[in-house]
Amino acid sequence: MSKETTTLGTIYISPNALATIAYHATLTSYGVVDLAPKNLAEGITATLTREPAHGVAVHYNGEEIDIDVHIIIEYGMRITSVADSVANAVRYQVEKALGMPVHNVNVHVQGLHVSDSE
Amino acid sequence: MNPDVQARLERLKLSPIDGQALKKLIEAGLTWLRANQQMVNALNVFPVPDGDTGTNMVLTMQSAYNEIDHLGHRGIGQMAAAVSQGALMGARGNSGVILSQLWRGFARALNNHEILNGPALVQAFAIARDTAYKGVVRPVEGTILTVAKDAAAAAAQAIQETNNPCEILARVVIEADASVQRTPELLPVLKQAGVVDAGGKGLYFILEGMLRFVHGEPLDTPTATVQPLSAMNLENTIASIEPGQDYEVVVDFVPRETLDLQKFYGELEKIGTSIQVGEGEGMYRMHIHVPNQKRYEPIDFVMSLGTITKIAMENLVAQMEGIDHKTSGARVELANIEPGQIGVVAVSPGAGISRVFASLGVAAIVEGGQTMNPSTKDILDAFENLPTDKIIILPNNKNIILAAQQAKDVTVKKVRVVPSRSIPQGLAAMMHLNPDGETEAVADKMTKAIEGVITIEVTTATRTVEIDGVSVEQGQVIALVNGKLAISTATSEEACLGALAHAHADEYELITLFHGEDLPTNETNRIVDVIRAAYPAQEIELQDGGQPHYQFIISVE
Repeated sequence: MSKETTTLGTIYISPNALATIAYHATLTSYGVVDLAPKNLAEGITATLTREPAHGVAVHYNGEEIDIDVHIIIEYGMRITSVADSVANAVRYQVEKALGMPVHNVNVHVQGLHVSDSE
Repeated sequence: MNPDVQARLERLKLSPIDGQALKKLIEAGLTWLRANQQMVNALNVFPVPDGDTGTNMVLTMQSAYNEIDHLGHRGIGQMAAAVSQGALMGARGNSGVILSQLWRGFARALNNHEILNGPALVQAFAIARDTAYKGVVRPVEGTILTVAKDAAAAAAQAIQETNNPCEILARVVIEADASVQRTPELLPVLKQAGVVDAGGKGLYFILEGMLRFVHGEPLDTPTATVQPLSAMNLENTIASIEPGQDYEVVVDFVPRETLDLQKFYGELEKIGTSIQVGEGEGMYRMHIHVPNQKRYEPIDFVMSLGTITKIAMENLVAQMEGIDHKTSGARVELANIEPGQIGVVAVSPGAGISRVFASLGVAAIVEGGQTMNPSTKDILDAFENLPTDKIIILPNNKNIILAAQQAKDVTVKKVRVVPSRSIPQGLAAMMHLNPDGETEAVADKMTKAIEGVITIEVTTATRTVEIDGVSVEQGQVIALVNGKLAISTATSEEACLGALAHAHADEYELITLFHGEDLPTNETNRIVDVIRAAYPAQEIELQDGGQPHYQFIISVE
């Protein structure tokens, strides 16, 4: 839970809200065809609950925000360049929405997707 | 086809279009993109100077061309496959990756073809588009993707009327241009910043370069187009001066009648090189490099066209010597590392900062920073030759951390990345280096140290935009505190004072300022005196950082 104290009170932002921003930033990032669940349990939960931000984990330890995204990349691209863009896009979008620095964005490439060649 | 055109194409070895012809076209696209690289870079949406879309695309195309440069006679299919392979391996940045996908689709369509005809070209454009779109779940329109889509549509339209690949290309280029102009309508962030999409523009230049080659037009001078005044990037032209470019002349003028651009460029090309023309605020600005004996000719020529409002002339030779003098001033003495000791690799944007790092015991320096991120290989090369296998990397920029981590993954040496996101963080970390310690323990200590320092960066906004609730006019000085926009104002002095107040510098002990290469010495000293007066209780240090783009990088600790 990220928090910001104003003169009127305190604003709490749940990690889920941040995860949704990161999720959308990731999906509009070039080269990413899907996000992947971190593990089987999360995969099942995501299917059951229609979790809006599966494949994204936000950690907040009271000081710093770390974001992990687990992605699947289209086969045939330079993986490092795509992952680089994802990290930049997620950081930029979250920081823009939140007005707080993000400490780390970790990109995990979980798999490659091969489109049928026509 | 017109017999003249046919004869010229044969002379250019473009008819039929086989592998060798494709090689020439790729080279032309690359050359033309490079000639307009700075213009593409200038279309950056964010106010911090990190606009390297043009550079990324040039590097991607260069890698594609390197792959085919040595190839002899090949069918178009094989040649295109090599282009695709090269682009894939050299893909840099988002636009570079998309460009590599376009080439991949293009090559797939031409698989097994010997020569390129009209229908094959149309097919290739279509499959290039499809392949590029497959790479993303939610395509953002108003980008290079849209331009590729419109280009493919134009090709499909053109084949109804002509089978000639060169004429199809001509239609495609016209549509690509129109498509680029439409990008701000599709992508609000472009409209807000008042620019077109950089990646789309880059793709347009590649296609246009090919067409210019077909038409026998020159590829090394920028196009006969007018750019907005704000997009003119005159500083960077100095980096590439060749013999015969003694003076830089910049003339502002108001023409008596509408300017015939083709003719205007034609006349200027007779006088000099590096021509740029900008328009805005009801006047034109002309930029040219000329040899000594012709230094008054551009002025006389422009005077014949209208009223001159301002003339600026600079002696480039003297300026170049000045630059050489500056860089050859003092060598950076790097620390000597014994086997078994920890070697530190630091990324540094300027000579002065490199010297400070070296004095603190850095064993290898990688040049790079905000506008030119070093690749994983650059970082790897820096430490592979050090006589130790214990390495710590200081990326000193958030965009370089990833490359540093990749370097760690591909080496057998024991590497730790200390994720410093700015120069002050890197320097703070160096204070805790113990070369004889254990890598893990030392790296942990250094990582802890980077949190104790506040970083202020002062730079000039490259466009008008509103970010983080602070509105910024292009040309204003902005200050970022720990990477976040804090203040925008008219002068470097106000930016420094504002940012220091924002960072509560009066609660800290030491303020270190690294001044950039662009700031005159007397101005620097004046600003530092003002800061000294404002913060009498703090120790103030001034260092020559030599970094580009940033007037000041300030560390508060």
